[in-house]
Amino acid sequence: MNEIAVRIENLVLKFGDFTAVNNVSFEVTKGEVFGFLGANGAGKTTTIRVLCGLLVPTSGFVEIAGTTFENAKNANLIKSKVGYMSQKFTLYNDLTVEENVAFTASLRKIPIEVFEKRKKELFEFISFRKPQSTMVRDLPSGMKQQVSLLSSILHDPEIIFLDEPTAGVTSAARKKFWELIKSLARTGKTIFVTSHYMDEVEQCDRIALMKDGALIALDSPDNLKKSTFPGPLYELSPKRSLNFAEIENVRQGNYFASFEAYGHRFHAFPISEEKWKDFKDRYEQDFEIKEITPTLEDVFIHLEEGRNK
Amino acid sequence: MKFSRVMAIAKKEVFHIIRDPFTLALALLLPVMMVSIFGLAIEFNVQNIKIAVFDEDRTTSSRKLLDTLSSSHYFLINPAKNQIEAIHLVDQQKDRAALIIEKNFEYNLFSGRGAKAQLMIDGSDNSTVGSVLSYFGSMQKIAFEKIAAKKLPTDVHLKTRFIYNPELNSRWFIVPGLMVVVLAILSILLTSLTIAREYENGSMELLLSTPVRSLEIVLGKLTPYIGLGLSAVLFVYIIARVFFEVPFLGNHFVFLTGCFLFLSTCLAQGLLISVTTRKQQISMQISMMTGLLPSLLLSGFIFPIESMPLFFRGLTAILPVRWFMNISRDVFLEGSGLYELKYDFLALLLICSVIVFLASKKFKRDVEP
Repeated sequence: MNEIAVRIENLVLKFGDFTAVNNVSFEVTKGEVFGFLGANGAGKTTTIRVLCGLLVPTSGFVEIAGTTFENAKNANLIKSKVGYMSQKFTLYNDLTVEENVAFTASLRKIPIEVFEKRKKELFEFISFRKPQSTMVRDLPSGMKQQVSLLSSILHDPEIIFLDEPTAGVTSAARKKFWELIKSLARTGKTIFVTSHYMDEVEQCDRIALMKDGALIALDSPDNLKKSTFPGPLYELSPKRSLNFAEIENVRQGNYFASFEAYGHRFHAFPISEEKWKDFKDRYEQDFEIKEITPTLEDVFIHLEEGRNK
Repeated sequence: MKFSRVMAIAKKEVFHIIRDPFTLALALLLPVMMVSIFGLAIEFNVQNIKIAVFDEDRTTSSRKLLDTLSSSHYFLINPAKNQIEAIHLVDQQKDRAALIIEKNFEYNLFSGRGAKAQLMIDGSDNSTVGSVLSYFGSMQKIAFEKIAAKKLPTDVHLKTRFIYNPELNSRWFIVPGLMVVVLAILSILLTSLTIAREYENGSMELLLSTPVRSLEIVLGKLTPYIGLGLSAVLFVYIIARVFFEVPFLGNHFVFLTGCFLFLSTCLAQGLLISVTTRKQQISMQISMMTGLLPSLLLSGFIFPIESMPLFFRGLTAILPVRWFMNISRDVFLEGSGLYELKYDFLALLLICSVIVFLASKKFKRDVEP
């Protein structure tokens, strides 16, 4: 039986008249890497802030690491059990690495001997080679993110929330960061992560997709692909340059449940076998047709667009 | 509340201060600058006023009048050849005023018809007009005593003596007020920047994600600035006593209590600004508007509150600077104690509590879920 790290039921969070999170329910098991996706303003960060004890839910049931959260009373207990790395860069640029880390430790009241041990372990964990007396402003951005991660897990939290941890860093640094995330998960930590990079999201055990404050999909990446595209997905490359009216004709022909432009190609998901045949009869000479395996990007575009219709 | 967290935040804040050239410069240079500008350059006592004189009478009496004027250090006499030239000198702004003594001045004086002399003052500069008039009045009296070689029989003999500042030394008046201004600007500006910076950098998120309490953040952030503020007070105090030789007649404890109360009010005001705007740039502007301007213009520092229109007099009542200005001057020059200053202290205490309440409520709502 898997242990539950996070459980939310019918979570609602309102700011005045605006509903940022609308009736969201899900569970995250211990040791899971849980990806959290959605456009800006979909309610991801708000949900995370509730789960970190920074916002009190308007209604709904929230349980984090065995602590229920209905009012501000348990906020500090939750804060001591979770680590939060905000999407904003939260280290102090005019403090050294050492000072930054020590500052977080003293806010969390970590005993000095525990802190020294933890610090040594964690600097080794992120393989930090520079002197700890380096000013944070002199670090490359990838390394800043790693130090930021280090600060947020100093107190050895059970659940770690990472809100767009790899925004604006090089791809090599992103790769390294995800290795860190996965090795943390192997030690039994629950990781809750948001990202805009599909290759990163692909590495999550399960993915939740939010749109306009609601949860619209939740599954493993493979299952999401299967459930979103039960039939084959085709890539259509125009053989000659097509004008806007011709493309609009294809779109209006109601052959496809989804027909999205990718550069000058199209990813098309037919409504049915018959429709696909109709399409081929009419347009085969215009397109080079190839069956492809859907990517997560296809999935999300389809799901988000589908909701719009 | 945990003391260790307060100290951790205070320590971090000290790092910020000593590593930020702007804050450091502001904290160190502002008091020095203010003291030099206000303490040395501003002079309300007008001396050596140039005055053009045409003496048509040329008698012993008229000369005695002129001697009296020139022997005081208030006037510098510039003789003119005729009436036209005297007026011309004022027109050209070479002289501030022109004195024309009519022919038969002495004759009229002793024959009892009343001697006439005309004084023309350049009215475009208000601040000297007042001085010329008041000096001239007293000079006139002395001159007539000399001319008549005995005291003039007057029914009422008014003798003026200034208490608390017998020489009406404007520095005695300015410097204790200067302390108020320095303290107000320094503390409002610096605190408003410090919290806005946390919001702007996003590091407020880091603070919030730890179990730190809002009171701990506030106390931790303010402690170094209280230190800075009090050292600015000490600095100006030493300058005032040693350099400007301003007497301190009151009780140091009363003064320190006032400083502390005022400092808390200013820090809370800075906090309120910062929590409301969350942007350093706007915080700085609002601090200047609500900190610098009122302390220079509406506190009684330079312009007396009594002569303000009713609306502004009412407005000054809600400004902490106005009350602390009174406290500072009265403690320095009059030696007033808590009893004499009870209304000022009460008003300051009231304003302080209101602002601290507002600031902490707003901050708490922001910080705690």
